[in-house]
Amino acid sequence: MGDNSKEDQLRKYRTSSRQGGGTERIQAQHSRGKLTARERLDLLLDKGSFREVDPFVVHRTNDFGLDDQKIHSDSVVTGWGTIESRLVYVFSQDFTVFGGSLGEVHAGKIVKIMEMAMKNGAPLIGLNDSGGARIQEGVVSLGGYADIFLLNTLASGVIPQISAIMGPCAGGAVYSPALTDFIFMVRNSSYMFVTGPDVVKTVTHEEVSFEDLGGASIHSEKSGVCHVAADSEADTLYLIRKMLSYLPQNNMEDAPFIEPIDDTLRMDEGLDKIIPDDSGKPYDIKEVIGMVMDQGSFYEIHEGYAQNIVVGFARLGGHSVGIIANQPAVLAGVLDIDASEKAARFVRFCDSFNIPIITFEDVPGFLPGTFQEHHGIIRSGAKLLYAYCEATVPKLTVITRKAYGGAYCVMSSKHIRGDVNLAWPSAEIAVMGPEGAVSIIFRKELAESADPVARKAELVQEYRDKFANPFVAAERGYIDDVILPRETRPRLINALEMLQNKRDANPAKKHGNIPL
Amino acid sequence: MFTKVLIANRGEIAVRIIRACRELGIETVAVFSEADRKALHVRYADEAYYLGPAPSRDSYLREDKIISIARKSGADAIHPGYGFLAEREDFASACANAGIIFIGPKPSSIAAMGDKAVARSTVLKAGVPVVPGTEGIGNLSDEDLLTVAPKIGFPLLIKATAGGGGKGMREVKSIEEMPGLILNARREAESSFGDGNVYLEKLVEGAHHIEIQILADQFGNVLHLNERDCSIQRRHQKLIEEAPSSFLDDELRQKMGEVAVKAAQAVDYENAGTIEFLVDKDRNFYFLEMNTRLQVEHPVTEMVTGIDIVKEQIRIARGRQLTFAQDDIRINGASIECRINAEDPYNDFIPSTGKIIQNIIPSGPGVRVDTGVYSGFDISPYYDPLISKLIVWGESRGQAILRMRRALEEYRIIGVRTNIPFHMIMMDSARILAGQYDTRFVEERFSMQEKNEDREHYEEIAAVVATLVAHQTAERSAQFVSRNERDTSNWKWVGRWERMHR
Repeated sequence: MGDNSKEDQLRKYRTSSRQGGGTERIQAQHSRGKLTARERLDLLLDKGSFREVDPFVVHRTNDFGLDDQKIHSDSVVTGWGTIESRLVYVFSQDFTVFGGSLGEVHAGKIVKIMEMAMKNGAPLIGLNDSGGARIQEGVVSLGGYADIFLLNTLASGVIPQISAIMGPCAGGAVYSPALTDFIFMVRNSSYMFVTGPDVVKTVTHEEVSFEDLGGASIHSEKSGVCHVAADSEADTLYLIRKMLSYLPQNNMEDAPFIEPIDDTLRMDEGLDKIIPDDSGKPYDIKEVIGMVMDQGSFYEIHEGYAQNIVVGFARLGGHSVGIIANQPAVLAGVLDIDASEKAARFVRFCDSFNIPIITFEDVPGFLPGTFQEHHGIIRSGAKLLYAYCEATVPKLTVITRKAYGGAYCVMSSKHIRGDVNLAWPSAEIAVMGPEGAVSIIFRKELAESADPVARKAELVQEYRDKFANPFVAAERGYIDDVILPRETRPRLINALEMLQNKRDANPAKKHGNIPL
Repeated sequence: MFTKVLIANRGEIAVRIIRACRELGIETVAVFSEADRKALHVRYADEAYYLGPAPSRDSYLREDKIISIARKSGADAIHPGYGFLAEREDFASACANAGIIFIGPKPSSIAAMGDKAVARSTVLKAGVPVVPGTEGIGNLSDEDLLTVAPKIGFPLLIKATAGGGGKGMREVKSIEEMPGLILNARREAESSFGDGNVYLEKLVEGAHHIEIQILADQFGNVLHLNERDCSIQRRHQKLIEEAPSSFLDDELRQKMGEVAVKAAQAVDYENAGTIEFLVDKDRNFYFLEMNTRLQVEHPVTEMVTGIDIVKEQIRIARGRQLTFAQDDIRINGASIECRINAEDPYNDFIPSTGKIIQNIIPSGPGVRVDTGVYSGFDISPYYDPLISKLIVWGESRGQAILRMRRALEEYRIIGVRTNIPFHMIMMDSARILAGQYDTRFVEERFSMQEKNEDREHYEEIAAVVATLVAHQTAERSAQFVSRNERDTSNWKWVGRWERMHR
C-alpha cells in the first residue's frame, strides 16, 4: 500500500510538472499562435526521444509573494533527445511559467545541461522565450546569466551551439544566443534587443516598434544577428533539424557522411554557359552552387544579409562542406564590411568543426567609399583574411571569373594555404580590372595622346588579352589547374576525397588575436 | 545449316526465342534500342548490339541495320518474332539476298497473305469460305466503298489492307457515318503501316475468334496443331486465349483444320503460321486472315500438344523434316493464357509506365510465365504494353481456370499498374466459366465497377499498415541514440588530437 501511495505521488508530480503554467496560460500562449515549451521539443526532437532532466526543480525565492507560487520544473524544460537518431541536449524556456523569466534554478538547469553536453560532446540547442531576468530574485538572476555566458564561451568551438528565438529575448538575455554559433528567429513573433522601444524613446527620442527594432527581418537582413529566419515555429524547428545534418557532434568528429544519391561524376553543361560573354554582366552564383553540389543540398545561411556574398552548407559527393561564394548578381560580388564579417564568421565555424571549405570566387575587389573606410573596412577585411589564413580544414577554391587585387589574396588563395585552387577558363586573375590598370600604368601616355579614348580602348584590349585570363597565374602555380566549368563537380569531389586525411597545424599559442 | 541466330525483336518473345535456341545449342544475338539497354533479352543473349534510339522506326524497324549487325556478328539466320519486321516481305527478301536464313515463310507467301484482299481471293480459290466483303477486288476509292457497302449490309467493318491488331479498323453501323470513318481508318492505316488502303467486311455478330496453328516443312508436309480460341478481346486486342476452344466439337475442329491446311497450301506455305477464322453463332466459319509468323498466344497450343513451336520453326528453317504426322497430334487437357499488360484497368486501360519495383512471378504445377521484364526494369512508353504472358495448363478447362485464379493471385507487379485485376474478374465470370462469350464480351458485358469498391477497401488497409509501420519506426528510433562512425585513419586522428593540445 505504501509503495502505491509513493507511486501516486510520483504520478501526481509528473502531471503537475508537465502542465507548466497551467491550462489558462497554455491557452493564452496558443492564442498568440505560439507553442508551449514542451510542444516545441516534440517538434524538434525525434518522436518520443526526449528525456527530461530536473522535472521537479522549484525556485527558492520567498520574497514578493513568490513563496506560494512554486511550479515543478520552473520556467525552463531541459533534457536530451535525438535528431535523426543523433544525440542533442536541449533547453526550452517556458513562457507559461513566470513569463519564462530567468532566475537561479532556471539558470542552474541550463548550466547543468550545458555541462552534460560538453562532457559528452553533443550539440546544444536552446529555444528562447523569456521575459528576461526574474526581478524578484535580484542579483541572483544576474549571476545565473553570467554562469550561462561563461559556459557558452567555453563550449564555443567544442560543440555546436544553436539558439532559436521563439518569443521575446531582451536585455542581457540576448548575449547567450549571441555567443552561440547560429541564431534562428521566427518571423513576426520573436524579437531581440538590448534595450526595448520604451528605453529607446526615453534616451534617443526615437519612436520604433518591437518588430522594427529587433524583429526577425531586421536581424536577418540588416544587423546580421539572425542567421536563419523562418515563417513559423514549426519551420524554424525543422530548419534546425536540417542544419544539424551538416554538423558534427563536436570538434573532434566529422560531419555525417550521407551516401550521395546524385551522380558524383555528373557534369552539368549548364555551367559552361553560365558566365556571360561580357565580364561586366552579372550571373547568379547560386545557380553554379546548385549545379555543382549534390542536388538540392544547399542550405543557405544569412540569406537576406550582405547578399553580395553567399555562405551556407551543402553536400558534395555526400560529404558536408561549407560554401563561401562571391555573388556577382549583387553589387558585382564586391567585398564590403558586412560581407567580410559574414564570411569570416562562417569560415571560423567550419574550421572549428572540421567542415571543409569550398570557395567560389568572382570578386572585383573591396568596396570603395568613405562609409566603408570610416567604418573600418580595413579591420573587417582583415577578419576574413585572418579566418582564411588560420583555417586548417581542407580548402578548395574555384575562380569562376574575377579575382582582382587584395580580394584575390583574401579569398582562399594558394598563398594562404588553399589546398586545391582551380580556375575556369573565364578567370581573370590580376591586380585590378583592365580599365583601372591602364589608367594608372599609361597615365602619362594617355594624357599626351591625341585621341585618349581610342588609345585607352586599345590599351585596355591589350591588357585584357595579356592578363585577363587564368594562364598567367597558372604558369606560376598560383592555381593548380585550369578546368572546364562542367568538370567542376567531379574535380571538387575528387579533391575533397584526396584531402580526407589532411593534417595541418598552427604554431602553439593561447589563441590568435583576430582583428575584432 | 545455321549455328547463330539474330533475334530481331524485344521483350518476352525475344527471351522465348533465345531459350529455344539455347536448348538447340545455337548461339544467339540480341539487338536493342536505347530504351532497352538493360532489357532481359539483352542479358539472356550471347551477344547484343545497339540498334538506335527508342522509337521503333529508328531501331527495331531498321532492316538495314539489323542485316548489317547479322553480318558483323556472323549470325546466319534471323528470327523476327512477331510484330516489327515479322510480316515484311521486303525484309524476308533482303535476308535472302544477304545470304541469311529468315526463320519464317518465303517472301512470296508473306506477300500473298500480307495484302488481305489478295489473301482472301487466294483462299477463296482454294475453296476456303470467307466473310462477305470487298475481298480480292483490290484497292477501292471512297465512292466505290460507299456504293458496295449496302450490298454487304450493315453493320460492317472497315479494315486496313496492310494491317493487323485492330489498327485502322472501324465498325460502321450506317451509311451516314461511313465517309468520316473511312477517312479515320485510312489515316490510321497510313501512319501505322505506311499504306492507307482499306477494304470492307461484313461484321459477323456473336462470333468466336478461332485460329488454327499450322506447321509446314520444306518437303510439302503441312499439318495443323488444332485451334486456339481468342475471343476475349478489347478493341480488337486479344487479352485471353485458350486451347482447345469449348465452342468447337471434334467434327468442326477437324473440318476447320483441314480447311486451314488447304489455305496454307494455297500460298505454298512453309514454317509456322496461323489461319484466323470467325465462327458465328450457327458454327459457320469464315476465313479472316493468315498470320505468317509466330503468334503471341502460341504457348497455349504448346501446352496442350506438347510441341515446342519455336523449336519446330528453327528445325524447319534448318531444312529438317517434321518428325510427326497429323495423326500424332493430340489435345491433352486445356490451357489458358492471360496477357499481362502494363495498363490501368480502372482507368480505361491507359498504358502505365515506370520502374518495376517488385516482380513476383507465380510458379508451381502447370504454370508458365513468358516474361521480358524483371524488378528494376523501366517500362518505357515506346512499345506495346505487354509485360508477360501467364499460361496455365489443367487436366480440363475447369481445372485450368482454377489454376489461373491461383496464379493470378500469386502474381505481384509493383511499380506500374497492370491488368491483373481485369483477368481476376474474367476468371470469376460465370459466362467465361460456361464458355458463353463472343468477341464483344469485354466491351458489352464487362465492367471494373464492383472490383473498384474492393480497391478502396484495400487502400484503407494499406493506409492503416503504413501508419503502423511509421509508428513502429518512430518508437524504435526514440529508444536509440546512434553512434558516430569514425574512420580509421590514425594519421587524421592523431593530427586532430595534436591540434587540440597545442
